[in-house]
Amino acid sequence: MLSGLLSDGTATVRFTWWDPPREEIERGLVLRAVGAEVREFRGRPELTFSWKTRVGPASPAELPRIDPDTIPFRTVQELRPAEEGFRIEARVVRIAAKSVTVGTERRVVHEGLIADRTGAIALSSWSDFGLKVGEAVRIAGGYVRSFRGRAQLVLDERSSVVRVDGADLPDPAQLLSAPPRTIAQVEDEGGGEAVAVEGLVVGLLPPSGLVFRCPTCRRSIQSGICRVHGQVDGQPDLRARIVLDDGTGALTVNANRGDTEKLWGVTLEEAQARLRSQPDPSLLEEQMLEALLGRRLRVRGVGTRDDFGITVAPESIERVDIDLDAAAEELSARLGTGR
Amino acid sequence: MSLREPAWRVTARELESSLEEEKGEGERPATYLLSPFGARMNRVLMAGSLSPAESIGREESQTFWRARMSDPTGAVAVTAGSFQPRAMAQLRSASTPRPAVVVGKAHLFRGRDGVGYVSVRAEAVRSVAEAEERAALADIVRHTLDRLDLLDRLEKEPGLTEESLLPQGIPRAWLHAAKESRTRYPNVDRPAFRRELANAVRRVAGESGPSRATLPTPPTVTVTRSPPPRPPLPPPSAAERAEESLFLDQLDGAAEVSADGYADLKEVLARLATQGMAADKAEAILNRLEEEGVIEEPIVGRLRRA
Repeated sequence: MLSGLLSDGTATVRFTWWDPPREEIERGLVLRAVGAEVREFRGRPELTFSWKTRVGPASPAELPRIDPDTIPFRTVQELRPAEEGFRIEARVVRIAAKSVTVGTERRVVHEGLIADRTGAIALSSWSDFGLKVGEAVRIAGGYVRSFRGRAQLVLDERSSVVRVDGADLPDPAQLLSAPPRTIAQVEDEGGGEAVAVEGLVVGLLPPSGLVFRCPTCRRSIQSGICRVHGQVDGQPDLRARIVLDDGTGALTVNANRGDTEKLWGVTLEEAQARLRSQPDPSLLEEQMLEALLGRRLRVRGVGTRDDFGITVAPESIERVDIDLDAAAEELSARLGTGR
Repeated sequence: MSLREPAWRVTARELESSLEEEKGEGERPATYLLSPFGARMNRVLMAGSLSPAESIGREESQTFWRARMSDPTGAVAVTAGSFQPRAMAQLRSASTPRPAVVVGKAHLFRGRDGVGYVSVRAEAVRSVAEAEERAALADIVRHTLDRLDLLDRLEKEPGLTEESLLPQGIPRAWLHAAKESRTRYPNVDRPAFRRELANAVRRVAGESGPSRATLPTPPTVTVTRSPPPRPPLPPPSAAERAEESLFLDQLDGAAEVSADGYADLKEVLARLATQGMAADKAEAILNRLEEEGVIEEPIVGRLRRA
């Protein structure tokens, strides 16, 4: 049995071939199938080549001819997982090459972020288009998938990238410093690549405080046992799972060691020393909450949604101190009482 | 998907004035307390001066503590029991009033006489520096004004839609809450409430002391706390007197065997049932006796002779 993806340029579908020929089917081969069956799986059509189907090699000339100018434009906000057959104009906000292992093969994937006026989306390109930060590009032949709860635009060798002027596209710096929006809006959009919110700390979720991590995979471990690597010598780490609330909604911010130390004012070493004198680790969480509850924070990062709401992997967490005199002045003016 | 309930920023006055509830949807529906000023609260955030806590638990195994949270507009009770051990420890930790921030669940208790009392079951309590209390109060007043403005707008254009408000950063829940408020509290003096908020603004500016400096708050918000007075009851008949004495006998019997001297309401009802008195009949007698001041129910479900 053979399965994979088929595309004629108009759309991509999964296929299953019950008795494929013995010789290997290569990527890029053009096939003609007559009498294939279509079935539905999770709301998407799938093709099945059974004994009734006649499948044979064909020429690329037989593929439907698509005029690239007729492919519809989409905005970033309109891109949803499983979307394909669109063109998009966006600016490269971030891009970096990364080496990954796919099966037994080492491959290079170019990962980053692109944005237009409506929003930003993660980019993952398996082909090197020589993308640089700040460039405005018109992309065709990509598809959107959901990866770890985030929508991601995937490009490969069949995709095309053209440099454009992009005068109406946002400047990357401006995008990464956009003013915060309400958490209700972020919840509505299901997170996003460049989330910025401001709210008060209303709680901490466990595990917050001192955790031990597997030295190989960095997963947090329980009683010295890693889910994947078994008995390991755990490495201590500090973390805080902060519940941030702006009155319109609430989300979880996963702060790493650096941010936690900065916000709490206690270093990992100091936390470990405290643990030696007060052996109950839940006391540490309690003390951390005491230091954080009611604090106003501004958080930027990547927001993803799961069953419990939005979680933000922060790029920055800043403490915000408001100017009380200015606030009183403003509120007083709004009340119309004058002072 | 069940999202975490946001903490509505509210003043004590707004909480005190909230006497309507709404049940949410879904498998385990949450209860929301509706305020006259456009809040639909499950969770709330308050800032103010927190008094030392007093124990109100009647039994060793069920510790329960209560403190008063006052801000420049009013005061409400903040409670914590053994299910909120951290909040309870925080509540108990002070012996003098201190500036504090409280996050908790708004709770409406309605007594048998129909009088409603709002309290906050604390989830998290923290003593803060005065500047932090004022900053949180600024946030509370800003949100309250945002909600009042939305109510005013809704009055002028009743056709406001979620779609038009969302881009302005006004969440769906706010519009829903504002509409509910307008239906449930048709005659509320919002300008009077705004005047009370001025006290809170003075506190933000640091012009008044930490606790309720402007006591007593004038009762300007016209929300009735108690139901309209009822006509006097006709004097009870001889048959009713007989039923009452049967009720009191069973109450005494139940109180005798109980550990704390209170008669358990369920126990009393069960005893009366064996004597052939229906539960609704017994409830009616109970209400009458309570009204006459013969018996009292200081803890829900626990009775004693007054």
